[in-house]
Amino acid sequence: MALIRLMIFGFLAMTIIYVAISVYSRSVRREKLENRWAEKHPDLDDEDARDTYINEGMERYNNGIRPKLILSVYVIPTILVVLVLVFTNWN
Amino acid sequence: MRYVRNTIRVLVFILVAGLLHYVLPQHDVARITSTEVIRMDFSSVNRLFFAQPDSSNTEFATRDIRLINSQKKRTWFLGFFQRESEQVMVYRNEDTGWIWPPYFKFDSSDLQAEASANMSAPAAEQWVVITHYGWRNRFFTIYPNAIAIRPIDGPGTTVVPWFNIFFFIFAGIAALFIRAMWRQFRERVIDPALGNAGDAWDKVEGHADNVGDKATGIWGRLTAWMNTWRAKK
Repeated sequence: MALIRLMIFGFLAMTIIYVAISVYSRSVRREKLENRWAEKHPDLDDEDARDTYINEGMERYNNGIRPKLILSVYVIPTILVVLVLVFTNWN
Repeated sequence: MRYVRNTIRVLVFILVAGLLHYVLPQHDVARITSTEVIRMDFSSVNRLFFAQPDSSNTEFATRDIRLINSQKKRTWFLGFFQRESEQVMVYRNEDTGWIWPPYFKFDSSDLQAEASANMSAPAAEQWVVITHYGWRNRFFTIYPNAIAIRPIDGPGTTVVPWFNIFFFIFAGIAALFIRAMWRQFRERVIDPALGNAGDAWDKVEGHADNVGDKATGIWGRLTAWMNTWRAKK
């Protein structure tokens, strides 16, 4: 029972961290794209072109490796638990 | 207001430091003098400081607790520096299993056997490093929980707390990361939402300042504030 409880709460905690890091990473990338656009076209006041540029950048981000790397939030704690388990009980 | 905030800060710091001091592993240089098993009837006062029956057993109000009696080297400053003198120390030896704190210890029986194997008399001392977490308190009858026992050559050994070093480095990185996340959240979500509200607030404050310039003292400030609510003539 305790194992199931640990798995449920651990999964919940890791999900919260995963969502928070995903949102943060996406937000940082969007800000970077906005700044890059502002640098390239300081005088251009074309909302549509800006939106297209940013959306394309976000699509590239979504297809890139970074969102997949954030999944390691689930992998690393699991590995750590197994390591601690082995080191504590190994003679 | 500042006193309240500082008091809360100090309390939170003490709580977190106490929790970490309880939960993080520490190393004692000791020699084991005997092992024993006593029956314990927990109360609500000390139940919190014990783990649970061995893995796969049923929980009862009363159970046997394995104890390791030892003679350990005194230390100071959180155990970083060893002193010459000795003191008695009694450790409990319980499975933490899958529950808190996350040591995932299932080998209490084996550890008790290791403790017995390293028992020694004063003439032929066998020193060991006992890794443990928790506190010894005579008034509550609580014991630190032994996690591992490692035989060493002599009492002068220094143990490098690798786990704690990595733990605090990681905690520092995590804190910086959370701060960065919070700042990003504030910059991108909260500030834009407050943008309009902030302008309105500046107007109110400006108006209050104009009225306030004429007022002195607490009473004057109060009437000035009341005046800000009056209809303009």
